Amino acid sequence: MVGSIILTLALIASVVSVIMYFLTFRGQSNTLNIARISYHAMSVLVIVGATLFLHAILTHQFQYNYIYNYSGKGLPAGLLISTFYAGQEGSFFLWTLFTVIVGIILQQYTSKRGDLEPRVMAVFGLASTFLLTMISPLLKNPFAYIWAEPNFISALNINSAYLNMPFLQSFLFSDNSTGQNFIKMSPELYAALNSSGISIANFIVQGKGLNPLLQNFWMQIHPPMLFVGFAMATVPFAFAIAALMKNDYREWVKQSLPWVLSGTMVLGFAIMLGGYWAYGVLGWGGYWGWDPVENSSLVPWIIGVASVHTLLVQKKSLAKAGNDGIGEFAKTNLILCILTYVLVLYSTFLTRSGILGDASVHSFTDPGYTVYLFLLIFIGTFILLGIGMLVFRWKHLSFETEQYKNALNRELALFTGAVALIASAVIVLVGTSAPIFGQSVEIKFYNELTLPIAIIIGLLNGFSLLLKWKYTNGKDILKKSYFSIAGSVVLTLLLIAFAGVHELMMIIFALSASFALFVNIEVAYKIIRGNRLMLGAYVAHIGIALFMIGVIGNSGFSDQLNLELTKGEPKEAFGYVLTFKGYEPFDNGQKYKFNIEVKKGSSADVVAPVMFFSEYNNGLMREPDIMSEITKDFYVSPVSYDDGTQQTASSNGGSQVALSKGESTQFGDAKISFEEFNFPKDAMNTMMGGGDFQIGAVLKVEYAGGSKTIEPSMKSVKGAKQFIPAELKEADLKVELSNLDASGKVNLVLSKLNGEQVQSAPGSSKEILAIEASLKPFINFIWFGVLITAAGFIVSAIRRSKESLA
Amino acid sequence: MKNKYMFGGAIIVIFLALMVYLFTQTNIQYESNFASIKHKSKTFKATGSWVREKNFEIDKAHKTFSFYMKDEKGDEMKVVYAGTMPNNFESVTSVVVTGKYINGTFHASDVLTKCPSKYEGQPAIESSM
Repeated sequence: MVGSIILTLALIASVVSVIMYFLTFRGQSNTLNIARISYHAMSVLVIVGATLFLHAILTHQFQYNYIYNYSGKGLPAGLLISTFYAGQEGSFFLWTLFTVIVGIILQQYTSKRGDLEPRVMAVFGLASTFLLTMISPLLKNPFAYIWAEPNFISALNINSAYLNMPFLQSFLFSDNSTGQNFIKMSPELYAALNSSGISIANFIVQGKGLNPLLQNFWMQIHPPMLFVGFAMATVPFAFAIAALMKNDYREWVKQSLPWVLSGTMVLGFAIMLGGYWAYGVLGWGGYWGWDPVENSSLVPWIIGVASVHTLLVQKKSLAKAGNDGIGEFAKTNLILCILTYVLVLYSTFLTRSGILGDASVHSFTDPGYTVYLFLLIFIGTFILLGIGMLVFRWKHLSFETEQYKNALNRELALFTGAVALIASAVIVLVGTSAPIFGQSVEIKFYNELTLPIAIIIGLLNGFSLLLKWKYTNGKDILKKSYFSIAGSVVLTLLLIAFAGVHELMMIIFALSASFALFVNIEVAYKIIRGNRLMLGAYVAHIGIALFMIGVIGNSGFSDQLNLELTKGEPKEAFGYVLTFKGYEPFDNGQKYKFNIEVKKGSSADVVAPVMFFSEYNNGLMREPDIMSEITKDFYVSPVSYDDGTQQTASSNGGSQVALSKGESTQFGDAKISFEEFNFPKDAMNTMMGGGDFQIGAVLKVEYAGGSKTIEPSMKSVKGAKQFIPAELKEADLKVELSNLDASGKVNLVLSKLNGEQVQSAPGSSKEILAIEASLKPFINFIWFGVLITAAGFIVSAIRRSKESLA
Repeated sequence: MKNKYMFGGAIIVIFLALMVYLFTQTNIQYESNFASIKHKSKTFKATGSWVREKNFEIDKAHKTFSFYMKDEKGDEMKVVYAGTMPNNFESVTSVVVTGKYINGTFHASDVLTKCPSKYEGQPAIESSM
C-alpha cells in the first residue's frame, strides 16, 4: 500500500514540476523554485519507492504479485536483487528510477548553463511523467497485491500447514493432466485468510523464482546498463526540443554533445554485453543473432552515433569566425536527437506490447490492452512533440550553405558517414518491424544489406581523418595515406591467407576495415604526446575497426561439427583431441558439468559445458563452454547425454526401450528385434473413422535354445487404448507396448515374468555425450573492439563536457 | 553543398532499392493455416501448437527432432527439425517453425517455443475445472 502511494505521489510531483518548469520558461518568475522542489521531491519519492521494493524482494514479501511471480527464496544475493527487473513492472520501474537519477544530474548540469534548465527539465520531466504513469497503480504497478486479481498459485508454494483447512478447499483446484494442485488467490480468499488470522507472509512461503535462463552473472549488469542507456537517450531529445522552444540553435550543440556521447557509449556497451551473454551463456553461438530485441535497441544506438558526427560538423561551423547563423546540419541534428529517443520508445513498444510475440526467442508477455494503448500514446506524444516543434520552427531552420571548392572536405565525409549509418538503421528497423505486418525476413536480409554499408563506413572512418575541414588538396591525401594503404593491403592479405577470408565482398570489407584501423593508429600515434583528451575519437574508431576485423575473421572459418564422445575414447575435431571424462554435479547437485579434456599438442585444457533439468521451464537447459585463445574460441555446446543403459526404469517396474523397425535390444539373455507392425488391412480406415481396431508389433526373440516370434498389441475400443502384453516362458520375458510412436517406433516395456527388472548387459553400457563443437575465429577482436570503442567514447565525452562550459 | 545531396542521396536511393529487393527475396510469411502451407512449396513460419498426445521423437542417427503440430482448426502436420530438441519443449504451449512442407512433412530449419503459462504466472488450468 505504502509503495503504491509513494509512486502515485511521485507522479503528482512530476506533473507539478513539468508545469512549473514550463511556466518558468513562459516567463513566470516565481515558479522555478517550486519546479525544482517538486522535481527533487519526485526523485526522492521514486528512490524511496525503489528502496522499499528492493527491501520487499530481499525479505521475500510474496504478498506482492510481482515478487511472487519473478522472485523466490534460495537465490544468491546478486540474482535476488536482479529479480527487481525480471518482469515488466520491475523493468519499467528500473527504467523510471534511472531516468529520475539522470534527471538529477541533468538538473545540476542545466542550471549552470544559462536559461537552459526550465526548457530541458520540462521536456525531460514529461518523459519521467509518462514512465511514472506506466508504473502507477493504474497500469503496471510493481506493488500490486497478489489477491488484487484472481491468480493461481501452485500448492507447492503454500505453507503446507494450512492446506488442509476446511475453508481453503473451495479455493483448491487441480490440473488433471499434470496432477498439480493450485490455490486460486482472490479477494475472497484474502478475506477468508484475514478472518482466520493467517497472514499472507505465512501463507505463501515460496515464489516462482527466477527463470534459469536469467540466472547468471550477466543478468546482474546487462539489463541495468541498458536502462541507463535508455534513460540517457532522453537527454538529447530534451535538448533538441529545448532548442526548438527557444528558437536558438547555437548553444544546444556543445551542451548536448557530452550527453550524446556518454549515452551512446552506455547504450552500445549494454547491447554488446547482451551479445556476450547470448554467446557465452545462452549458447546462441555467435556475437549477434539479429534477434528483434537486440535489433530494436541497436537502431536508436546507430542513430545516436550518426548524430555524434553531424553534431560535430555543426559545432565546427558555429565556431567559425563571423558565423552568426545556426550552423550546418542544424535540421539533421535536431531530427536525429529527437529520433534517438523516439526509437528507444519504439523499441520498448515492440518488445513490451506483445506485438512481436511469435518472432523472438525472448519471451514476451502480452501486457493487456490498456498497456498497449498507453505505450502507443507514449510514443505518439513524443513523435508529435518532435514533429510539431520541427514544423513550427521549420522556416527558421534554413541555413545559407557554404560553397566548398570540391567534395574533399571533412564535413561532407562525416555527413555521408551519418547517412550510411541512417541507412543501416532503416534496414534493421524495417526487418525488425516486419512481424507487425505478418512478415519476417531471413538473417540474410540483414547480412547482405549491412555488409556494403559496413564497407562504406570503414572507408569513411579512415578517409574522413585524412580530410581537412572545408577543403583538402587531393594530392595531400595520397601523400598522407601511403602508410595506411600499405598496412591495410598487408593485413588483408594476412586475413585471406590465415583466416579463410575468400569472398570478394569480405575481402573488400577487410581492406576498408584495416584502412580505418591504420589511419586511426597513425593519427593517434602523432597526437599521443599532445592533448590526450583529443584521442577519444581515434581510440573509438580503432575499436570499431578492430570490431570489424573480428567480424570479418569470424565469417571465415566458422565451422561446426556434431560429435558423439564416448567416455574415455579420444576423438579429434579442428585439430583438438577431445576426451569425455565424465560428469560432475555442482550447485548442490542441481546442475551437471560435463568435463571434456581438450588436447592440442602438449597442452591440455578442460571445457565443461553444463546441462541441467529446470523445473521452472520443465525442460533441459544447456550452457556452452568456451576455450578462449587470442585468435579463436573453441566453442562447445552440449546436446545430449546418454548414460548407456538405454533402458530406463518405467513406472510399472519393467524397463523401457524404444525400437525402430529392424532395431534390436538385449534383455537378460534374450535379444529382441522389432520386425514389423501387424496392421490389419481395414485398421487404417477404422482408425481414421474413430472405430475400434487392434495393432500388433511383431517381435522376434532370440534366446538360449531357440527363437520365437511374439506379438504384444494395442487395442483401441471406443477411443480408449488397451495394451495386451505378450509373454514368452522360454525366455522368462514379458513384453508390453507402452506407446506407438508417430514415427513408426514402438515403445516396449520389458520385464521378467515375475515382474523383476534386469540390468542390461554391462558391455553395452557406454556413456555418450553428444556435443556441437565449433571454432569461432577472431571473436575476441569483437569483444576487445567493443571495449576500446567504449574507452574512446568516454575520453571524448570528458573532452566535450569540458568544452560545453566554455 | 550539392555534394551533400549527391552522396547522401545516392546512398539512400541505392540502399532503399536494395532493401526492397532483398525484402521481397528473403521475406517469410507467418501462417497459422496449415492448409495453405501444405499447398505451396514456399518457406513459411508456421504458428500452431504441439500435439502433446502424439509425443515427440528424437532420431539420434539422423540428428533430427520430430513432432506433430496443429493449427487453430485442428489441421495437423508432422514437423521434422534437423537439430536438437529445444530447451524447454516439454512445457511448450505454442510453437513457431520455419521451413517448407515437402512430401507430407514440414522440414523446419528453426523451432521457436513459447511457454506463456510459465512466464505469465497464469497456469492454463481453466479448461480442467
